[in-house]
Parts: sequence; C-alpha cells; structure tokens
Amino acid sequence: MKQFPYFIYVLVCVLVFGLFAQSAKTVQAEKQPTQTDEQPVQSEGQAAQAKLVVKDHPFDGGDKLDISIELPQQVYQSLTAEKPGGTIMLMQSEEEGGLYRELAKYPPNDGSWKLNEKAHIVSIEVSGLNTKSEYFYRLYWKPHEGEKQIIAETSGPVRTKREWFLGDKWKLAGVGILICGSVIFFIEVAKRGWKLKVRRIAGLEAVDEAVGRATEMGRSVLFVPGIQDMNDIQTIAGLNILSHVAQTAAEYDAQVEVPTSRALVMTAARETLQGSFLTAGRPEAYNPDLAYYVTDEQFGYVAYVSGMMVREKPAACFYLGAFFAESLILAETGNSVGAIQVAGTAQPSQLPFFVAACDYTLIGEELFAASAYLSGSPEELGSLKGQDVGKLIVAVWLLGGCLIETLTVLSIL
Amino acid sequence: MSKINPDDIEVILATDCGSTTTKAILIEKIDGHYRQTYRGEAPTTVEEPAADVTVGVTNAVSEVAELAGRKLLDENDQILRPSNGKQGCDIYISTSSAGGGLQMLVAGVVREMTAASAKRAALGAGAIVMDTISSNDKRKPYEQIQRIRELRPDMILLSGGTDGGTVKHVVQLAELIAPAKPQPRFGDKYRMPIIYAGNIEAWEPVKETFDDDVELSQVENVRPQLDNENLGPARDEIHELFLEHVMAHAPGYDKLISWTDAPIMPTPGAVGNILQTIAERDGINAVGVDIGGATTDVFSVFDGVFNRTVSANLGMSYSISNVCAEATMLNILRWVHVDMQERELRNRVKNKMIRPTTIPQTLEALIFEQAVAREALRLAYIQHKEFATTLKGVQQQRTVGDLFTQDSGGQSIVNNMKLDLLVASGGVLSHAPRMHQTAAMLIDAFEPEGFTTLAKDSIFMMPHLGVLAQVHPQAALEVFERDCLIYLGTCVAIAGQPKPGRVAFRYKITGDLSDEGEMYAGELKLLSLSGDQRATVEIEPARGLDCGAGKGRPISREVRGGEVGLILDARGRELAVGGEKGADRQTVTQWVNSLHLYED
Amino acid sequence: MAHAYTPGLKVSRQTKLHCRRLLPISGKVLVEVGDLVEAQDVVAEASIPGDIFPLNLASLLGVSAADLPGCMLKNRGERVEVGDELARSKGIFGFFKKSYFSRSAGVLESVSKITGQIILRGEPIPVQVRAYVPGRILEVKPEQGVVVESNVTFIQGIFGIGGEQYGKIHLACENPEQPLTEDLIKPEMRGGVIIGGARMTHQAVEKAIAVGASAVVSGGIDDQDLKNILGYDLGVAITGTEKIGTTLIITEGFGDIGMARRTFELFQSRVGSQASVNGATQIRAGVMRPEIVIPTADDSASDVFDDGAVEGFLEPGSSVRIIRDPYFGMIGQVASLPAEPTVLGSGSKARVLEVKLDDGRKLVVPRANVEIIAG
Repeated sequence: MKQFPYFIYVLVCVLVFGLFAQSAKTVQAEKQPTQTDEQPVQSEGQAAQAKLVVKDHPFDGGDKLDISIELPQQVYQSLTAEKPGGTIMLMQSEEEGGLYRELAKYPPNDGSWKLNEKAHIVSIEVSGLNTKSEYFYRLYWKPHEGEKQIIAETSGPVRTKREWFLGDKWKLAGVGILICGSVIFFIEVAKRGWKLKVRRIAGLEAVDEAVGRATEMGRSVLFVPGIQDMNDIQTIAGLNILSHVAQTAAEYDAQVEVPTSRALVMTAARETLQGSFLTAGRPEAYNPDLAYYVTDEQFGYVAYVSGMMVREKPAACFYLGAFFAESLILAETGNSVGAIQVAGTAQPSQLPFFVAACDYTLIGEELFAASAYLSGSPEELGSLKGQDVGKLIVAVWLLGGCLIETLTVLSIL
Repeated sequence: MSKINPDDIEVILATDCGSTTTKAILIEKIDGHYRQTYRGEAPTTVEEPAADVTVGVTNAVSEVAELAGRKLLDENDQILRPSNGKQGCDIYISTSSAGGGLQMLVAGVVREMTAASAKRAALGAGAIVMDTISSNDKRKPYEQIQRIRELRPDMILLSGGTDGGTVKHVVQLAELIAPAKPQPRFGDKYRMPIIYAGNIEAWEPVKETFDDDVELSQVENVRPQLDNENLGPARDEIHELFLEHVMAHAPGYDKLISWTDAPIMPTPGAVGNILQTIAERDGINAVGVDIGGATTDVFSVFDGVFNRTVSANLGMSYSISNVCAEATMLNILRWVHVDMQERELRNRVKNKMIRPTTIPQTLEALIFEQAVAREALRLAYIQHKEFATTLKGVQQQRTVGDLFTQDSGGQSIVNNMKLDLLVASGGVLSHAPRMHQTAAMLIDAFEPEGFTTLAKDSIFMMPHLGVLAQVHPQAALEVFERDCLIYLGTCVAIAGQPKPGRVAFRYKITGDLSDEGEMYAGELKLLSLSGDQRATVEIEPARGLDCGAGKGRPISREVRGGEVGLILDARGRELAVGGEKGADRQTVTQWVNSLHLYED
Repeated sequence: MAHAYTPGLKVSRQTKLHCRRLLPISGKVLVEVGDLVEAQDVVAEASIPGDIFPLNLASLLGVSAADLPGCMLKNRGERVEVGDELARSKGIFGFFKKSYFSRSAGVLESVSKITGQIILRGEPIPVQVRAYVPGRILEVKPEQGVVVESNVTFIQGIFGIGGEQYGKIHLACENPEQPLTEDLIKPEMRGGVIIGGARMTHQAVEKAIAVGASAVVSGGIDDQDLKNILGYDLGVAITGTEKIGTTLIITEGFGDIGMARRTFELFQSRVGSQASVNGATQIRAGVMRPEIVIPTADDSASDVFDDGAVEGFLEPGSSVRIIRDPYFGMIGQVASLPAEPTVLGSGSKARVLEVKLDDGRKLVVPRANVEIIAG
C-alpha cells in the first residue's frame, strides 16, 4: 500500500482556502454595483436634491438595511470641510407620516459612516431592525443650528428581508467545508486502500501484553473508566477502549473487573462487556457482575478501588476516562502491587502523575483516537486523519496570520 | 563414559550424523595447540537397507583413519580408545540430526509469554518446533485437539503460568493434549514424553489429567516470574529425553550412544552452543546461519542472550520451491543481473526440488541459485528478528521524560548495528565458487550495519565443536579460531537512506591499507585486505546517516581483513532493490562488478 | 567407478511387490494370512476416537468450577444424546435452578473441577484400509495391518499429485515424445488411467477431470500448468492429499520432457489392464514416490526381480540421464570419468563425467547431475 502524501494535501488545502478567502473578498467588492440593479427604494429630495437609496443588507438575518446618500456637491463639501458647515441627520419612522426619530448624524463620524469622495456618497448600515415592520427614512440637512430642511425622503415603506445564509459567516463555512471535506476525503482515500499512517500508541499496543500478564499470573484485569458520568466524552472514550480490553480478556479467558462510580456508567460498561464477550465468541463467560457500582463519592470510590487492588493484586490496571485528585492514588497503588498499568485522560493536570506511575499513558487526544486506532476501519481512520489534517490547516493559517500581522506591525510588509 | 583429564586429551574424533551424510573430523594436539587435521564423509545409514546409523559412522571414521594413517577402529569396528601413538583416539563425540532431527510440539498459556519461552527452550535445545499451542492462538479447542492429533512429534513441552499464577489455563492445555492422545513418530511401544515446565502449583492437577499413555516429567518453570526466563532446566530435560527416548528408538542409536564420551546432541543445539561460547568469550554480538536443503537455522547472540530459529520450509533443495513461492519470483529476480526466462526458471526450481542433489553447472544457474539463497536468508532472518525479542509482560519503569517514547515490551533484540560477527554455513554459502559471492549473499540478505566481520564455516565443523565445547572448551575454541572459521573480511555499511547522487560517507583507511575517498549513494566498493592484515577505518557519514556513532557522527574502528577484503557499502539500509523505487538491473550489475562476483 | 545419485525410481516389468497396508492407529485386521484379496477389498479397519466437543459447563450454569461435578447428571463414560439434560445447578434453596441440555451427542469423557470444562467425545470415525493391489496376504501385523504380496508391473514416477486411484490403462499418446494434449483425451477413458508421452498440458488435465479419468500419467508437466491446476504455487514436495478430481503422476520431471522409452513401452504392453495408482510424494527423509502398480496374472515368473533403474556405479558405458539444466532430460552413455575435479561454467570445481549422446555429441557434466537409468 502506498503512503498518502499528506504534505501535498495540506499545501493544496491551504492554497485553496487562501484563494477562496481572496476570491470571497473580490466577489463582495464586485457585487456592490450589481446590487443597485435591485429596485431601489428611493425618493428624490426636494430642494437640495440628495438621493437616498435604501437597500436590504445582503446575507443577513433580516435586521439590517444599507442606506446610501448621494449628496449635492455643496452639501458634501461643507460636510467634509475641515470646519463642517452643517450636519445631516438620518431619521427613521415605522409608520408613514409618523414620528421620525434621529438615527444617525454626520458629522461627527462615529465610524458608522462610509464616505465615497468621488461620487459624494455617504453610506451607513442600519441594524436592529425586524422583518415585520415597515420603515420610512428622511434626511435632514441642517446648515445652522435651528434650521433644518428635508433633502431626501423614501417614497414608500422599506422592509428588510431575511436571507438563508449569513454573509459574515462565509469564512467559517469555508473552514467547515475544508475540515469536513478533509474527513470525507480521507475516508475515501482510506477506502481506496491507501495507507494512512497513525502514530503508534504504545498504550494501546500494550493491551495484549497487560491482559496476557494477568492471564499468566492468574490475576484479574482492573478497568477504571474515570469518575465522571456518561455525559463526559472521556468516559465514553474509556468505554470504547474497555470493549477492546474486554475482548482481549475474553479471548485469553482472563477475568475483567470494572468498578464504576456512576450508575449509568455501570450499565454502559455491562453493555460493552457483553458485546465484547460475544464478539470474542465466548458469550458464556460474560457475567453482569463484572461491572458494578461502588459510590458516587470521589474518595469513597478511590478508597474502595485502592483497597481492592491491595487485596486482589490485579496484574493489569487500566485507568481510562476523566480523573482528578485520585489519579496518583490509583496509579501508585497499582504500581506497588506490580501491575502493568495503562492510563489515559484528557485532564492535562493529571497526565504527569499517570506518566510517572504507569507503564503506558494515552495523552489527551490519543484517548479519543483510540477507537479508530484499534478498529483500523477506513471510516474511523479516515475521519481521524481528516480531523488532524483540518487542525493542521487551521494551525498553519493561525501561524501564517500571526506572522503576517507581526510583520505588518513591524512595518516590514 | 569414563572421565578423562582434559590435559591428557591428544586426539579427538567427532561425527555429525546429518540427514544425508555423516561427517567425521579428527582433532589432534599439534605443538600444544588443537588443530582439525582430517575429515571424512559417508552417506547416513538410518534408513533401509542398513537401518543402523553406526554403519555410516564407521564408514566415515574409516575414511578419516585412511587419510590420517591412524588406526581408529578395531577389528569389530569399535572405536579404539584411548590413543596410543598412531592408534585410536582419546574421546569420541557425536551430534545427530538424522531422521529430520528432534521434532517437538510446545504449549503455553499466552503465545507471546510462556508459550514463547517454551518455544525458545525447545529451539535452543536444537528441536524443530512443529506447532505452538496456546490459549490465545485464535483456534477453537477442537481445532487445537485436531492439530495435536495430526502432528506426530517426538516430544511435547507443556508450560504456562508463572509460579503461583494461573492453574486453570495450564490444566486446560493439559486437557487438550490428554484426550488427543498424540502419537510419537517412531516406535509403537514408546510412550510420548511430555515435559511439564509450567506453574509449580499446577503440577498436581496436570499430573491427574494425563494417564499412563504418556511419559510425564516435571522440570522448573520456564517462566517462574514474567520478568525472567529460566530455560536451562527445560533444555537439559529435552536433551536427556532426546537421548533416552527419541534416539533410543532410532535405528542403531543405542549402539552409538554407548560409543560416545559425551551425550549426543541434536546438531543445531551444538551449533548454538559453540556460537554462544564464542560470543561470551569475546564479548561480541554474533549471528550464525546454516542454510540447508530443507531448513534454514539462524542463531544469534546479542548482549549475551542466545536465540535460535528454524525456518522449516526455507532451504535450497527440498524447500527451494517454497522459497520461490514465499518470496515470489519477482523478488528473487531482482538480484539477477542477466536475462532469464521466468517460465523456464519455474521448471528448473521444481526439478531441483525433486532431484535435490544436483549442482549448478552454468554460471546462469549459479546466479539464480544465489539469488534464491538471498531471499531464503532474508526471509529466515526476518522470522528470526520477530522471534528474538525482549520478554513480554514485564512491568516498565518510567519517568516523565518518557512521555513520547513509551517503548513496549517484546522489542526485537536483534540489532544489525550492534552485530560484530556474521558466520555463514551451509552448502550454498560455504561451497560458493568464490568467497566474494558468499560475502555478497550475506550482506544482501542480512543487511549488516556499521562494522561487521564476515566469516564462513569452512567444512561445517560447528556442530562437532559445539559438543566438544561441553567436554573440552579450550580445544573447541582453539579449533574454532584456527580451522573452523574462514574470515571473509569486514563490511562497513551505512544505515539510513542516502540521497541519490550525493556523498553518503567519506572514508580514510590507515594501517596495512592506506586509502581515502568518498562513497556516493548506492555505491559498493571492495578493497583488498588479506586475512592477516588489519586496518583502521575512519568513516564520516553524511547528515542523517549512521555508521554506529549516531547520525552524522564520525567513527573510527580497527577492522580485520579476510579472503574477500574490506567492503564499503553506501547503499543504505533498508536495502531497496527492485520494484518501482529500488535499484534497477543496471545498478545491480554495477554492484556485481564492483564486488567482482562472477569473474576471476 | 563412482557412486551416482539416483532417485531410486523403480520401473519394473515383473516384480514381487510387498505392499504394507497399515492403519494410522491400532484397529482390527479383517483378513488372514494366505487370503486372496482384490484391490479394493477392505483388509483392516479402525475407529479413530471421535471428534471432541469441549464445553465450559461451569460458566454456562453459572456455578464455580469446583461445584460442577456435583451438578452433573451424567457420569463419566456415559452416553449423551442431543437434548439430554447434562447438568443442573443447585440453585438457591432449591429455587432458580439452571439446566444445560446437550447440543451434541457423544460420550462424556471428562469433567474438570479446575477449569469447569467437560469434554464430550463424538462418534468414532471409521478408517478403512484397502488392499490397494490384488494379491495374497503375506503377513498380518495384529491390530496394525497387513502385507499384501502380489506380482506386478511396478512403475514409480518422480512426482505426483492426489491419492490412491484405480482404473484401466489407456494409452493416449503414440510415442513418448508426444505431448499429452486436450484432443487426445476421449470420453471412453472415463475411470481409467491415461498414459501420455511428454508434457501434459493444463487443458489436457482439465479435460481428463471432465471425462472423469482416475489418473493421468505422463513424462512431464510445466510448473505454470501445475500452478493453474492446483490454484496455488506448490511449496513443499509433500503431496497426496490434494483433491483436484484426478491423480497426476509425472515420470521424469518438470518441463517439456518425454517419458523414458522403457517406461512408455511398459505401459504400452499393459494397455487395458487394471492398475492401482498413488500420487502421494514426499521428497524428504523417508522419501515416498508416486507409483503405478499393474498386477500381472502370470505367477510363474514371480522370482524374476527386475528393478529397472537402481543405485549403481558409474562406469564407462553406463546409461545415464542428465538431470539438470542446461542439458536436462538428455540421455546418453558415460564416455569417460576424469578423476580430477574440473572447473565448471559456474566457476565451482566438481568431479565430472563425459556423456556421449545418442547423436554422437559429447557433453561434460558434473557427476551429481546425472542419474543411472536401465539401458
């Protein structure tokens, strides 16, 4: 089987994403003029002849309108002069001829106004609207204090429109497609027989060895699925590995014991055990008492498990799930009774204890990758690989972004 | 058997009863040193019409006697002892692999643990392991029983459980073997010997499981704790039972046993013995290979740990067809630098299989046979590497620093970089017309890395010396050094993949040979350095390549010469030959030319 | 003079064959010394202990292994039928008892209180040994088998595939150099032993299987054809158990090689006779060669022992066949035996001989590469 050229894949993805992002920008830029083709809701102003164009904001949730005002040259100039010679006020009402209230004024520009000097257009995005109301706009020109005149007004009601997609999430969609696409892509790649390399996880390779040791020594295999309930993903990952451990134990005809600290976990563990014994072709060896509930109390549970370890001296201990303060107590007890220990948790604070006291440790992500690693099925391997590559792409982008940002700040670019 | 003072031993006679020929050698003390002086050969006579192994032994010995001008046999064809001037010898020893050697079945609880230890014990004793039965061999109990019934081993070794460990599994194994009622190969009246080398606490129930149909004996556990192995007692018991039962039922062996001054050993056991003795004395790591017609034996001693494997169906005559089937013709032909017709070759291979004693007459046939040998050796070595591992099931000690390098148990202990001596024996290797060919076959098949001395067993004397080492180690070692080994030279090879077209390493040689230069990726170079010459070789590998001191680090060592000389190998490891990316025919031809393989 | 290798192939017009017919395990011999038997008569039979059904009853009942013997309802040695209640757990205060009903029939052989396993042994498997050749029982080995003596034409091949077969000799080729091709195999050869000349082709073998021939015998076969017929590449030369629908025997070797004229003529003279054939080959210690045995009615010449090719000494004038490329299959006479080793084309030194071929050519070959054949 051939090794898949990841490097090339990642490179292509980064480039494609780059092009995508680039083109998304230009598309936005290009689309602006075409949108004026839409029937603009506009009204001719009276004296000063400003042109008020109110358009629905594209790709929004129906809460924004884009308003652009083409001002007469003199108005524009007096507005943008160093000492502004007056202000414009944008007013909004929700009923025809109703009460208009001020929405925005210029100057000063609080950042919401955009100016187009050539065409003498000022534009603003109005938000916080809803699709059910009708809106009317008016633009006042206030050359001096106390004097104001309407220079533009909408001729009819304007409504906002809710779109299917939110425009500001396009980039996220791109990232999503890239990661999901990578997953699908790698599943397909795996199905076609390419070899997907997964780093050797010593802890999982050692399952056979640990169970074998228990078999030879005539002792039991202890499996602790953490102290959290089934809602913790680590517990689920732990039980995934339990199915492998139990299957091996069933094949070797070794005794497995699963004390749990949550009732639900016990039920799940029993199901897992039963399935594994069945797969191993030894359904008669399954006994529901192999998995049992101890107590919800963290240290009550630990006291029980440690006590049992000292009494029964299991030859293989597996700690796979969510662990807290008890990690070192368990691991040390296991070490002192001479067991081969395999631990795995995604709690970063507990990892050092496990590494020091156990024979093999699954670090963070490895715990979740276990089921793909163990089954070796193209679907699972492909999705593992796809996620990894997705993360890699994001990491490359992050680094690239930071670099560019830094260079820009340092004025190198 | 009388005890003789080793210092009084002047003349030693040794025979090895192989499956086709019986070889006799004479070792004499000349000027205070033991030297092998004469040898004789005669067909083995285990089968009809003679059906008495001693006939072949007598024939071989009389040939030696004739050549040496020494009377070794009396008028009743008995070996004359002790020596007296030009008459007789002081001790007589023998090995045997006639009748297919010692064939065993082993059983243990976990395949990688006690069953593997049991297998190691059996192989180390010189047996061929026909099958390994274990609780986790993925066979259903009835399949295992069926298998035990089909095989007709000479002996069974049952192990399992540490002391104080599992009883249930061991009894379960006994319960599989007992009803299967295995039949021994020879002799209807003879009861199957079963050696129990498992959990001491399971002995009583195991004993109850078997009835009187078998000869059950107990020895110390092969794996008293999982963390250590104790193979000695089991090996000794195998040797004893081999003599008592297996040999005693083979034709003529009772007589032969009474003749010898030391217990008869199975041939491979003896070869392992001498290799171990040598490695121990010189503190080196050594690999020995014996490629025969039907089987290939690989022996290794790494850091004092001895391992042996037998690849039962890899050989150069009876099994040649199987080598072609396992390695595929494509892989064999990648070593061939001339045009050959595959269809024609297939028929030739089969013809060699049905007429195993023929020898290649043309150069083309020789090239092909040596290509087959490379593949057979390569496959045998792969099997050996997979088997020779550290113990599995051992508790590991770790620190936080080991976070990303969590080694597991059961790693191969065979490390080509640490290999110091590679010894070849067996027809295709020792009878190659040019020793260069032997060296090339060894390098291509075993891919030694760093500095490795290559040698061959001159006349397949290692079995004789292996037995001798038990009686008279000094004599065995002296003969081994002076007469047994023919040094071919030293191979200096780089590990890692050198970049094509770039320099792989620079070398500077001082001492009896002076040279300096660069080796480009894929190059092979032969420098002449004769047997009594020594040279210091300094190697400066390119970045990422290793010659023993670490990647890119220079190294300097003294090397010995030999019949072939000093071989510098910049082809990289693993060797890539054939296929899409490997070396093509043109490159292979260059290698053939640079080693002067097929020319005078 | 020198000793020469010979595969020991016997090709004999008339020989007294002592055929040992032994059971794989001890059993009962059905005939007595002096009895006349036909080839397919059963001479001895035995029952191999039946298949074994191990069962972990303790776990099935949910009791500990030590308690199992107390739960057993059948004793050791007792017969168990399918559906019989084999064991019942004691339950709690006489309640919650659990039973196990046997799913296989056999005899209860053992009950282990350590592993909780019981072993049921199924029906014995009968094994029968046939006489293989028609003849007289010469010797009876009690409980083991018999030796059948018979006057036969006996031909050993060098390599075969498949087990024992019986059938009439049919000659398909006209001369030993003619390859055995598909068109030479006729439907009337059904159940017979087809004798070819040179190489048998893949198609010919398939046709022979299609018409239902018992066996096909010819000079040679191409290895590629053999691979196609078997469906795999034969690794080790231990055969006899293949089930391809017929038994194949080659008399000379692999490749395009004609049957030895003497062998061919022998077959020619026995066309129509009933033959027993065995393709089993083992080229190892304890060598076994495939054979064709054709009983002769003529009892008078029973003492004539003509062994055809046998071990012998090479001397000028002996007929030899070269058995290694590049001259594989050529036949000639030894012209001279140079005493000194000669360097071969391969570069190795070996003792050689000079062979004079029938066409007058002289070849030098290593002594190891010839075999003596009957002239």
